[in-house]
Parts: sequence; C-alpha cells; structure tokens
Amino acid sequence: MNTFLAALSLGTSRGAIFALVALGLVIVWRGAGIVNFAQMGQAMFSTYIASTLITNGYSYWLAFFTALLSGAVLGALLDIFIMRPLSNKKQSELLSSESMRAAVPVIASLGILGALQALAGIIWAAEERGFPAPAKEEGFTLAGTVLPFTSFDLFVVSIVTVTLILTTLFFTKTGIGLAMRATALNQEVAKLSGIRTNRTRTISWAISGAASSLAGLLITPTSNLSPNTLDLVLIVGFTAAVVGGLDSPVGAVLGGFTLGMVISFVTFYDTPEDVFLAILAVLLAVLIIRPRGILGSKDARRV
Amino acid sequence: MLKIENLVTRFGSVVAIDGISMQAQESKITTVIGANGAGKSTLLRTISGLEHPSSGSITWKGQSIIGKRPEDIVRLGIAHVPEGHAVISELSVEENISMGSLFRRRKFKSDITPAIDEMYALFPRLKERRKQLAGTLSGGERQMLAISRALVSRPQLLLLDEPSLGLAPLVVEQIIDSVNILCRSTGLSVLLVEQNANTALGVADHGVLLALGKVVADRPASELKADAKLRAAYLGY
Repeated sequence: MNTFLAALSLGTSRGAIFALVALGLVIVWRGAGIVNFAQMGQAMFSTYIASTLITNGYSYWLAFFTALLSGAVLGALLDIFIMRPLSNKKQSELLSSESMRAAVPVIASLGILGALQALAGIIWAAEERGFPAPAKEEGFTLAGTVLPFTSFDLFVVSIVTVTLILTTLFFTKTGIGLAMRATALNQEVAKLSGIRTNRTRTISWAISGAASSLAGLLITPTSNLSPNTLDLVLIVGFTAAVVGGLDSPVGAVLGGFTLGMVISFVTFYDTPEDVFLAILAVLLAVLIIRPRGILGSKDARRV
Repeated sequence: MLKIENLVTRFGSVVAIDGISMQAQESKITTVIGANGAGKSTLLRTISGLEHPSSGSITWKGQSIIGKRPEDIVRLGIAHVPEGHAVISELSVEENISMGSLFRRRKFKSDITPAIDEMYALFPRLKERRKQLAGTLSGGERQMLAISRALVSRPQLLLLDEPSLGLAPLVVEQIIDSVNILCRSTGLSVLLVEQNANTALGVADHGVLLALGKVVADRPASELKADAKLRAAYLGY
C-alpha cells in the first residue's frame, strides 16, 4: 500500500512537470507551427540565471521571476534573430520545398539546443550544482503516518494546474490567442486578415520560453543542475506532447501525467532501468492505436 | 481609386504579369477575366502584398502601396479573398469571421459585434453553423465564410478571386448576387477575378480581359460581353 501511494505521489509531481514541458512545446506548435527542441536548453539557461542570483544572496522568488522573464526574453530573441529570418527566406533554394520548410526550423532548434548547452558550459562550467525548492520537501503527515506527498509536490501540481487553465483560456478566449492559432494554421490567411504574424510568433516563443523555464525551475530541485540535466526531461515532455496530441493543451497535460505515472510505477514496481523501455512502449502504442494523440485534431502532426 | 500602371510580377524567370495597367473604379464592380494562367490571381496577390512586383506602380487613393505588407494593406481598406475558399478549417465559423476583425478591436471596439452580425445577416447559413469547424462546411458555405472574413474588416475595396471555383451554378449565383447587392447598397468597390466570364460580366460594370499577363481589352462589361470576336478568341465560347 505504501509503495503504491509513493508511486502515485511521485507520478503526480513528476507528471505535472512533464505536463508543463509538453505545454511549452504545444504553445510553440500552436503559435508558430514548429516543434522546438531547444526548449529545455532555454529552460536550463534561465534556471542557471536563477541559480546564479540565489548563490549571490538574492531571494528565491526574485530569482524565480527573473528566470521566467529571461526565459520569455530568450524565447523572443531566438525567434526574432534565428527563426524569423529562416522562415522568411522564401526565395532561397533550400526552402523551396514544403517538407524542407517544415524541417529547417526543427533542425535549427536542435542547433540552438547545442549552442545553449555549450554556452552554459562556458559561462557556468559544466559541473553539477544543486538548486533549491521553494517549499518543504517533507511529506505531509496524516494521522501519524508520513505521506510520500510533499508540500513541494503540492506547489508543483497547483502551479501546473493554474498554468494549464490560463493557457487554455488564453488560446480560446482572447484575440491574441486566436491570432496565434490562425498564424500557425495558415499564415497567408492570417496576414490577409490583418494579423501581424511576425509579432504573433514572437509572443508564442516568449510564452513558451517562460513556461519551459518554469518547468526547469520545478524539476531541478529533485535532480541537479548541469548543462545537460534537462535533456531527459525534454525527451519525456516531447513524448507527452505527442501522446496528448501536440496541438491540445489539455492533451499535453494528460500526456504528461500519463508518462509521470508510467515512469513512477515502473520505477517502484519494476526497476528504474526499464523506464525508457516503458516510455517507448507508451509512445509506440499511442502512435499505432491513435496516431493523432489522445486529444489531437486530425491533421495536427505533419512533421 | 485603385490605379495600376505597367505592373510586372515575376516568379523566377516566369513573367506572370507583363506590364498591366488598369483601374478599379469607386463603388463599381470591375472584373478581370481570362483563361487559366493569364495572371489574374497573381494580379490580386500583388495588390494585396502577397507577391512583390518587379516594376510598375499600384496607387490606392493617391498613395503608392508597393512594398507594404499584406497586414498593412488590409488596414488601408483593401481586403483580399484568395482563390480556393481560403478559410482556416481547424477554426470555427465564428473564429474565422472574428479573425478578420481582430486588428480593428482597439480602434473600432464598438463596431466589432455589429460588423459580425452584418455578416450573419448577409449569409444566414453561417449563423446557423457558427460553432461548427470551418472544415465541416460545404464548398459554398466556405466561400461565404471567406468573403465574410474579408468583409468584416469593413474594406472599401474587395479583391475576390474566383469565387465560383468548384461550386454549383446555383450557389455561384447566390454568392455573386450577395456581392452585387452589397456593392450597390454600400458603395463597396469590387475587383472580381473570374474564369467564368459570363457570370462575371453579368454583374460587372467594367471588364478587363487578360491573356498571358497582358491586357487585351479594357471596356465596359456590356461591350465586352457583346464582342463575339474577343470571346471566341480568348474565352472560347
């Protein structure tokens, strides 16, 4: 029984973080039509900024919000200086075919990931460092027994819930959310409707940058911070986004929790070595049974 | 109102528009007809800023609009309905329409809902289906939606590219009629590109016949319609 509760609790808090990563991927997918593999590189970078502030004596919350802000700024800069020039090079031979036009930004995002990791290594050295949690990492006590669910876990879960609700409302109820979806779905019609598509894409990158920085801040207390720490998180988060449907925020969160649970239960009841096998099995099962993902719309996935 | 002079648009080495000069008159329907490949769509795409001309001028209300972006040109009052029922299938009917009025939501806040309601009055079938995804609509309804998306921005000039494409004659008639009524009642200017010359010349005031990127004839629509020789040579009927 205790093992079960422990697995459930770890699955919930890990799932919440994977959900956040997946959410960040979904935002850029919906707002700019790109799968952004550099995302956790951006998150790692802003987590390092937070870590530097904390070691220099500033408060956790100042570091926290600075990291979110720098995540947003970094996302916007990457779009303005790398992605926008790439996608606007309409006449170049490289981008003349439809499939290349879809592939080039994805490859560029992998390049950005490598560059960010190298840069972080240069600036902060490639050694691991710890990162604090904003809430206690001791389990809640219920009737004398210590539960495996900590106040930090509660913090993570509530932050993810709030982020999900805000993102969904933002996409469906606001004008800028509609503009973002229109830009990703059909740039030409969006432009003809008067939507400033360049600006809209930059906003998507900024929001996604902040969301993934949030994920970085929440996952590093349980692991450690190094330039490559978040690679695994990205792989799981990407799988979660695909499982959930890539264009659905709710699907991303469902996918995140599904994978969190799978990982946690495999770790507790089987061995941690089988975790990746299990992730792969889930991905394959979804791709075979329901290729569009749990909540994805019909032709969301063209990459 | 809209004046085009010696316009040339190229795609690589292919000259799609080869020195076109023409006008769209205020509160009139001007139609551009011609066979497939005559450069009709490219002409509209160049006006709305989707393609860049290599030379020539486009003047709108006395001002050059060459080099401006599509999203700025629509703000100047020129709305383009591109070929092929251009709507976003993954968005609902309601979202497709309000997308067209997004850029007005600050300056003309009180006019957003009335403008959308006018579209529903013009095409009541869209109102019935406003929660449906645009992808589930019939071809005719999609065309109505594409036109509404453009009209909701309250343009002074509507660029309409082949609204009849792939639609049943009865539906075409209904759509063309709506545009005609709108032009006559509100003073909207229309630049209508059509391959179906008969339909287009039936409603238009003025007609411009294109062939291989050049203007072959530029006359009142009734004259163009009556000219059996031109019809036989360029339109094949």
